[in-house]
Amino acid sequence: MTLALNLSGCPCHCPGCHSQHLWEDIGEPLTNELLGGLVERYQGLITCVCFMGGDAAPEEVLRWAQSVKQLATTSSPLRTAWYSGRPTTPETAPISLAVFDYVKFGPYIEELGGLKSEKTNQRLYKRVGETWEDITSSFWRKNL
Amino acid sequence: METYIIKRDGKKELFTIDKIKNAISKAFLAVGAFATEETLGCILSHLRVHNGATVEEIQNQVEVALMAEGYYQVAKAFILYRQGHTEDRETQQRLDFMMNYVQASNAAEGSKFDANANVEHKNIATLIGELPKQGFIRLNRRLLTERIKTMYGKELSDRYMSLLNQHFIYKNDETNLANYCASITMYPWLIGGTKSIGGNATPPHNLKSFCGGFINMVFMVSSMLSGACATPEFLMYMNYFIEQEFGEDYYKRADEVVDLSLKRRTIDKVITDCFQQVVYSLNQPSGARNFQSVFWNISYYDRYYFQSLFDNFRFPNGEAPHWESLNWLQRRFMNWFNEERTRCVLTFPVETMALLAENGDIKDKEYGDFTAEMYAKGHSFFTYVSDNADSLSSCCRLRNAITDNSFSYTLGAGGISTGSKSVLTINLNRAIQYAVRNNIPYQAYIEDVVDLMHKVQLAYNENLKNLQEKGMLPLFDAGYINIGRQYLTIGVNGLVEAAEFLGYEIKDTPEYAHFVQELLGIIEKKNKEYRTRDVMFNCEMIPAENVGVKHAKWDREDGYVVPRDCYNSYFYIVEDKSLNVLDRFRLHGAKYIEHLTGGSALHCNLEEHLSQEQYRQLLRVAAVEGCNYFTFNIPNTVCNDCGHIDKRYLKECPHCHSKNVDYLTRVIGYMKRVSNFSEARQKEAAQRYYAEKQKAPKC
Repeated sequence: MTLALNLSGCPCHCPGCHSQHLWEDIGEPLTNELLGGLVERYQGLITCVCFMGGDAAPEEVLRWAQSVKQLATTSSPLRTAWYSGRPTTPETAPISLAVFDYVKFGPYIEELGGLKSEKTNQRLYKRVGETWEDITSSFWRKNL
Repeated sequence: METYIIKRDGKKELFTIDKIKNAISKAFLAVGAFATEETLGCILSHLRVHNGATVEEIQNQVEVALMAEGYYQVAKAFILYRQGHTEDRETQQRLDFMMNYVQASNAAEGSKFDANANVEHKNIATLIGELPKQGFIRLNRRLLTERIKTMYGKELSDRYMSLLNQHFIYKNDETNLANYCASITMYPWLIGGTKSIGGNATPPHNLKSFCGGFINMVFMVSSMLSGACATPEFLMYMNYFIEQEFGEDYYKRADEVVDLSLKRRTIDKVITDCFQQVVYSLNQPSGARNFQSVFWNISYYDRYYFQSLFDNFRFPNGEAPHWESLNWLQRRFMNWFNEERTRCVLTFPVETMALLAENGDIKDKEYGDFTAEMYAKGHSFFTYVSDNADSLSSCCRLRNAITDNSFSYTLGAGGISTGSKSVLTINLNRAIQYAVRNNIPYQAYIEDVVDLMHKVQLAYNENLKNLQEKGMLPLFDAGYINIGRQYLTIGVNGLVEAAEFLGYEIKDTPEYAHFVQELLGIIEKKNKEYRTRDVMFNCEMIPAENVGVKHAKWDREDGYVVPRDCYNSYFYIVEDKSLNVLDRFRLHGAKYIEHLTGGSALHCNLEEHLSQEQYRQLLRVAAVEGCNYFTFNIPNTVCNDCGHIDKRYLKECPHCHSKNVDYLTRVIGYMKRVSNFSEARQKEAAQRYYAEKQKAPKC
């Protein structure tokens, strides 16, 4: 159960982007109070906090992810995730990923589709110890 | 100045004296007399026709005028003449209704008075069921007001009718004579067959007679109820008969061939054939019920609920029910039903999983996982979560305190019997706006109306007791239903809309929570005040997809503030996209449902199915928040061209790629095609916001 935060001012500008409003500098500034308030409101119910975007200032995302880990308690642990639109891999990422449990890399390319498309270029990784496992295929939901 | 009068169809017409003269002259001729211009003048001089007078008012004045002038025989003729025309108009109205029904787009839409959720197609049988509805409404009102007059006087009876006609209160299910719904104990049937309720069947003695007899018994019981019939022991009894036939360890040998016929069926196949027989039979439109199917509910239990409810239970042969085999059978039935629903639109049974919660999670981990697994497999059912196995929800509308877990050799398990005798609903939006407009503290006004509602319910109860004394209610006499455990239900509708009118934000804030608690607290207080040894009241937020639309329409017509076309059946605004799934669980959590002692199921509408882990987390969320009754609702897609049913919400049929698709969704607990709902219910379905699954990792 994930609390997802959209970070605006996205520099990637992928053609066909479904959230073009996030290219602008919109919304409320992310502050300790805002993040702390949101986490407190749903603590015990959510299991993960995900930052969507933030490619204009990745080191900021890192800082926020660290704050999330500090807000987590033993009774309600929180995982962290980052969705980046940059064409990198965990190995070539611009910041240390040590604080994240999940990361997604790759721009949106219309012909290939998003994570749900089996042709997608985007990759979702899950931390397994010190390494990253590609779990993109878990989005390709089979018929029920 | 010209005077306009109001005709019966509501249209205005220029008033002329000629029509009245003509009618009076005819009345004179009818008694063999003749009215001269002078006589007519004398009579007409009594009339006072003002602008906006109705035809009925003027005719009433004519009656009085004729008598005042001493023409009693003529007055009588005039009255009979009016009556003749009234009867003629009624026949014409019925004819019009019939023609409208025949032309309506579906059965629910054609039904004017009280659309049935369990009618799929319209035909001559459903039409026959519709025609007497108006008559039933009149009859029920008469029965009730006569009783109120005897018990509380004419003033209260008049006030009831006035509140009813002005839509401050709504009497549910007025088109039927029977008491509303019940969760029955099948023990009397198990030991005595259906003789005690007027049938001729002997008790079931093997698996085959259990299945056949069960179907007949449910039809019989349902014909004496106006709402649902819940059989919370269905699988437990079936398990007993399977054990009798194939041994207590049958579930360990499910692949064993036990059929000597050419079919060579295994134990598993024999059992699923039984499922098929019962489920398909009970989903059939029923001849004796004007082509309605029965409303049939069943329950599943986790280990702890099972122990709490059936620990003392003994079958007639002295045996206790066995958890291990029942556990297998519950899982088998649920999986079978889920798969069967991809082949055919099956509305019944409505299923409720009862789970015990402890320390913010489901206590029986195995059943928590299994429940999440079934949701992830796309199965649609209700879950009831309680901190204590002292209450049970066995019907889509009812939650009951289990006051007595005893077992009796004549009546079976005490805990499962419950039901609602009658539902009377308050339209909170209108009542609160009326109070505010008239400078009455709304709390006092609500208390006043709710007090009257309790008296009305007690009057209903007296009528029911009277019917029982005359031997008209064999379900009670035979012990299928325990009248002492049946509730009189106070329903609420328009709560969110009333809160919006008062300026509250419909979010989890201390102010909104206080408003809800205070308002429902008033009803609960009255419920306790009126409780006696024989009578119990409960309060439920009625599933009002039908009434909610009516209330919104009537209130708008009368100039009240109406923010949407259908009043909510939830504590949140169903179309509010700013509320996420967790917010919705919280708004149906302990704080909000504290004073609701009847049903209030959160229908968590989702656009896509979640994974088992995600559903499992939501079960924890429900336990933490104290949201005790909920379901997940993901519209299923049914292809109008090839008939393929898919558990997902799709725009295109994955099988034949047709875009001509329809959806199955849940309205008041029942899964059916959206296109078969009445317009009112389709409206509600269209307004729902199916929360989009966030693009986030599975965790």
